[in-house]
Amino acid sequence: MTTIRPFTCEDMLKFNNVNLDPLTETYGLSFYTQYLAHWPEYFQVVESPSGEIMGYIMGKAEGHGENWHGHVTALTVGPEYRRLGLAATLMNILEDVSEKKKAYFVDLFVRVSNKVAINMYKNLGYIVYRTVLEYYSGDPDEDAYDMRKACSRDVNKKSVIPLTHPVRPEDVD
Amino acid sequence: MAVRPQHVHDGGIVERRLRPIYDWLDIGNNKKALQEAEKVLKKSPTLQAARALKALALFRLGKGLEAQVVLDALADEKPSDDTTLQAMTISYRESQQLHKVCMLYENAVKSEPANEELHSHLFMSYVRVGDYRSQQRAAMALYKFAPKNPYYFWAVMSIVLQAKTSEDNTKRGILLALAQRMVDNFISENKMEAEQEARLYIMILELQEKWEDILKFIESPLYSQLVPGSTAQASIPYLKKLGQWKRLNVVCKELLWDNQDRWDYYVPYFDSVFYLMKENEEDSDSSIDNTAEKCHEFICQLVESMSSGRTLRGPYLARLELWKRLAVDGDPTSLIGNGLALCVQYLRVFANKPCAVPDLRPYLGMIPQKEREEKCREFLTCLGFDENSEPESADDIQRHISCLAAWRLVAAPLSSTGALELAATLRGHYMRCLQKGLVTSNITEFCAADHYGILAAHHYFYAGVEQQSSAPIVEALCLLELVLHHSPANFHAKLLLVKLYHLLGNAVAADSIYQRLEVKHIQLVSLGWLHCARLAPACLASRALQLLADTRAFLKHHGKDSVEHLTYAYKYGTFEKLVELAGWAARLEGCGWGAAAARDQALLAQLAGPPALLHQPSRLPALPTDNRDLNVIVNYEPPQFQDDNLKARTFDQEVSYLRLKDALVSAIALCIELADSRPVEEKKGHYEQLNTCVEAFSTAMEKCRQLYAERERISISAPFPSRIIAFVNSPVPYRELYATMLRLVGELAINRTTAAHDACDAVARLLPKAQLQLQDEIAVKGDPVWSMRDRLESLSNYLEFIGIITFLLGVCNELFSPASAKKSKKKTNHSPDEIKTSELLNKLNNTVQTSIAFLENILDEWPKYEANIDEILAKLSLDDKYQSPVENKLKTGRDDMLNDVRNILKRKSKYLKSLLQ
Ligand SMILES: CC(C)(COP(=O)(O)OP(=O)(O)OC[C@H]1O[C@@H](n2cnc3c(N)ncnc32)[C@H](O)[C@@H]1OP(=O)(O)O)[C@@H](O)C(=O)NCCC(=O)NCCS
Repeated sequence: MTTIRPFTCEDMLKFNNVNLDPLTETYGLSFYTQYLAHWPEYFQVVESPSGEIMGYIMGKAEGHGENWHGHVTALTVGPEYRRLGLAATLMNILEDVSEKKKAYFVDLFVRVSNKVAINMYKNLGYIVYRTVLEYYSGDPDEDAYDMRKACSRDVNKKSVIPLTHPVRPEDVD
Repeated sequence: MAVRPQHVHDGGIVERRLRPIYDWLDIGNNKKALQEAEKVLKKSPTLQAARALKALALFRLGKGLEAQVVLDALADEKPSDDTTLQAMTISYRESQQLHKVCMLYENAVKSEPANEELHSHLFMSYVRVGDYRSQQRAAMALYKFAPKNPYYFWAVMSIVLQAKTSEDNTKRGILLALAQRMVDNFISENKMEAEQEARLYIMILELQEKWEDILKFIESPLYSQLVPGSTAQASIPYLKKLGQWKRLNVVCKELLWDNQDRWDYYVPYFDSVFYLMKENEEDSDSSIDNTAEKCHEFICQLVESMSSGRTLRGPYLARLELWKRLAVDGDPTSLIGNGLALCVQYLRVFANKPCAVPDLRPYLGMIPQKEREEKCREFLTCLGFDENSEPESADDIQRHISCLAAWRLVAAPLSSTGALELAATLRGHYMRCLQKGLVTSNITEFCAADHYGILAAHHYFYAGVEQQSSAPIVEALCLLELVLHHSPANFHAKLLLVKLYHLLGNAVAADSIYQRLEVKHIQLVSLGWLHCARLAPACLASRALQLLADTRAFLKHHGKDSVEHLTYAYKYGTFEKLVELAGWAARLEGCGWGAAAARDQALLAQLAGPPALLHQPSRLPALPTDNRDLNVIVNYEPPQFQDDNLKARTFDQEVSYLRLKDALVSAIALCIELADSRPVEEKKGHYEQLNTCVEAFSTAMEKCRQLYAERERISISAPFPSRIIAFVNSPVPYRELYATMLRLVGELAINRTTAAHDACDAVARLLPKAQLQLQDEIAVKGDPVWSMRDRLESLSNYLEFIGIITFLLGVCNELFSPASAKKSKKKTNHSPDEIKTSELLNKLNNTVQTSIAFLENILDEWPKYEANIDEILAKLSLDDKYQSPVENKLKTGRDDMLNDVRNILKRKSKYLKSLLQ
C-alpha cells in the first residue's frame, strides 16, 4: 500500500531507513536540492500508510539532439519493502516523465556486482549498452554497466544498439 | 563553486590570460591563483577581470581587508563585463555582502540597458537578498525587451512572495489579485507553456482559497495539455475542500480500480464514504458508496479483481482501515468480522514479506488490549509455527519471523525471566540458521534469519532494563556483533549495537559501530541524537568535539548554499519548490540540534580543546526546529507502550537544556569581554549584562529542577533521557557553583573587591563539598556496569564544570595581572586588597587542583566491565575462527575513555599551576 508523491526536502530527515543501505549513497545536501529545483517531476517517493519512506527515485533529463534522454541517478527501496514491485513502479514513473519530455531513451549506471539491480533492470526491458571502466571509485574501483531502454520516440531503437568496447568514465557525457 | 563563467569561449587573448587563474582557483590553490593574477596585472594593470579574480583569491586566502580594497575600487568603476562581474559576485557572496551584488548589477544594467544577461543577473541578485519588490521590477523590465515566459512568471512569483510575506490583509489581497490577473491574461492570450506555470497559477488561487476556480482550471483542456493525465488525481484535494463528497467518491473509486495499491486514493475515498454516511441521504445513485456495506463491498470487489499476478497489499489493508475507522464509534464485527481475525488474516497472506509487520502495526492498537493479549498466540500459530519451529527455507524463515514479531507486538510484556527464555530460544534459532547455512547475507544485503538475532536482542534488552542488570545487555551485544559479522549490511544490528554500547556507557565501542553506519551530511542532523549527543555525557570529549565540528560545518555550509538553490528554482521555473526550499533553509537555520552543537562545542572546547578563545555562537533561534529521526530504530513493544508524546517531550527537554547552555556560553563570553583593558567605568554595561545573564541561568536551573524531576523510562528506540535531568537534579550544586564563579569574574572586572573576595571564598568553600556530593552521586549502587552510563554522565557534568572554572580562573588572572603588565616586568606595589585577591585566587586555584586530583583518584578506581563474557560466548557455541570483539571493545573502550579524561585533567592541572602567582 503506497502513497506516491513528489520528494520534498523534509523527506531527507526521514530517509535513513532507506539510505543506511550500503548500496544507497547519501549525497551532500545541495545535490538533492539541485535535483529538486531542476527536475522535481523526476524525484518521487513511495511512502507507507504510516508515513515511512519505502523508497525513492531521483532522475533528470539531459543531452542534445538524439542524445536527449532520461537518466536514473538514484533508485532505492528500503530492505523491508523490497520485492513488492515498488522499484518497478518508480521506474515506470520515470519512463513516463521521459516519454512526456520526448526523450529518446532512459539510461542508468549500475555496479557490475549489483546482480539484483541488473537483473531487475533487465526484467524491466533494459539492456547493457556499454561497460564503463572503473566508474565507481573505491578500493578497488568498480566498473559500471550503462544500461538503456529506448523510448517510443526512438522508433528505430538506435539508442539501444550495444557498444562492443568498454569506455572510460571521461568518455561518458 | 566553479568561478569560470559558463560561456566565455571567445578564445580571446583575455580569456587565455585568465585561464591559469581560473585553473588554480578551481583546484583550491589560491596562492598560485594570486600569483598568476599579479603576473597578468603586471602586464595590464587595469584589467578588471584580473583584479576581480585577485580579490577573490585574496578573500579565499583570508586577506579580507586587502580584497575589500580591490573590490571597492572596482565597484567604483562600475564594471559591466560578465567575467569581472561574476568573479566579484562570488567574492561578495563568500564574504556575505550580497547586497553589494545588487548594486553592482544595478550599475552594470545602467551602462548596458539592453543586455538581457545583466538584467537576469540583477534579478538573481535580488533573489539572494529576498527583495521581492525589486525582483518584480527587474523581472518586468527583463520581460519588456525579452518577452519570454520565464521572465513573466518570475515577476508573478515575486508578487506572490510579496503577498505571502505581507502582514496587511488588504495589501495581500490586492497583490494576489494582481498576480492572478497577470496569469489570467496570459491564459486568455494562449501563452501558457509549462507545467510549472500551471502549478504557480494553482498556488495563487490556493492562497486566495478559490477552490472552485482551481477545480475549473484543473478540468480545463489547458491543464490536461500542460499536465497530461493527472486531472483526476489533482482534483482530489479541492473536491475535499469544497465538500463535494459524492464526486470525490466517484473519482477515487475510478482511480482505485486502476491503482489498487494507492493509499493516497484510499484515504480520500474513505473520507468521502464517512461523510456521506453521516449525511444519511437516501440516494438512488448506486454508484456512490455512502454506507459501510457498500464500501466493504467495493473493497471485496477489489480483492477479487486481483486474480492474476502479484497479490497487492492495498485492498487487504483497506479492509483493516475500514475496520479501524468504523470502530471509532461502533463495533464493525457484524459487517466485516472480528478485527483481530482480520489482522491475523493479513499476516497469513503477507507473512512472507518483511513489510507484513510494519504494515500491521498501525492496526494492532485498535484491538482491545485484553483480547489482544488473550489471543496473541493466534498471530504466532496462524501459519502452523510456534516459538520452537525450525523452518528450513528462506521464505519460511521470513514467515516465522513475521509471526514471532507480530506475536510479540500484541502479547503482554514478559517478566524478565520470560524475556530471557524467549531471547535464548531466538538466539538458538539464529545459531541454528548459522550452522545450517541459512544465513545467506552478503556484503550488501542482509537476510531474514538475522531477524532472530535482532528480536533476541530486543528481549535481552527488556530483561536488562527490568533487572537493572548488564548481563543480558552483554548477551545482546555478543549476539548482535555475531549477526553483524555475518551480515555486514545489517544496519538494524548496527543501530542496536550503537544504542546498547551507549547503554553501558561505552562510547568508544559505540563509535566503532557508528563509523560503519557511514553517517554523513544531513544524517549528521537527523541522527545526531543517536551518537554524537551521547559522546560528551559518556566522557569522550575529544571525539565529541570532532563530530560536533562536522555537524556545524555541515550546517554552516548549507546556510551559505541555500540562497543559491533559490536562484536555481527561478532558473528552472520550479516555483512550488522555491517556496519549499526557502522553508527548508529556514528550518535548518533554526535547527535545535545545530544550536545545541554550537554551544556544546564552545563549552566542551574549554575542557578538551586546544587553548583558544570561546567562539560565541550565533543567536539562539527563536523557535528551534526538531529535525531528529526517531523512527530509525525499530521497536517491538506492544501498543500500550507507545509514547505519542515522546518526540515533543524529549525535544522540549533538549530545548530547555539548550537554553541553559546558551546562558552559560553567553555569560562566559561576557566574562571574556570584561577581561579587556578598558577603564572600569566603561565595563559597567557588560557587568550588568553578565549579572542579568547569571540571574537568568540561576532562575532557569531552578525552574528546570522542578519541571524535570522525574526519571524517564528507557526505551530501545528513543533517545536516552535528556542530559538536563541529571544536570539539574544533581546533588552537586551546579547552579551556585557556576553562578558564583561567573560573578567573581564580574566583580573583579569592575574592582568591587569585597564582593569579589566573597565570591572567591564562596566557590572555594563550595568545591570540597561538591566533590563529596559528586562522590556520592557516582557511588556504585547495584550492578556497576548497568549504572556506568549514569555515573559517567554525572562525572561529565563535573568535568565540564572543571573545564569552565579553569578557564575562568585564567580570565581572573588576566584581569588581575594582565599579560601586558607581566611582560613589562615592572615591579608594582600591591595594595593590601590586591594582595588579598591574589591570595584568594591562589587558594581557589589550589582547591580546583585538589578537585582534579580527587577526580584522578576516582578514575583510578573506576569499575571495570566484568561480565561473564566467556560464559556468554560459550552459549553462542562458536566453533569456527570467529572471535567476539565485545570483551575487548568494552575493555579498551573504558581504558581509552579514562586515558582521554586523564590527559585532559593533566592539561588543566598544568595550566592552573601556571596561573599561580
Ligand atoms: C534494486 C532495488 C531498487 C529493487 O527494488 P524492489 O522494489 O525490490 O524491486 P521490485 O519489487 O520492483 O522488483 C522488480 C523485479 O526485479 C526483480 N528483482 C528485484 N529484486 C530481486 C531480487 N532480490 N532477486 C531476484 N529478482 C529481483 C524481479 O524480477 C522483480 O519482479 P518480481 O518480484 O515480480 O519477480 C532494491 O533491491 C534496492 O533498493 N537495492 C539497493 C539500492 C540499489 O542497488 N539500487 C540500484 C542502483 S542502480
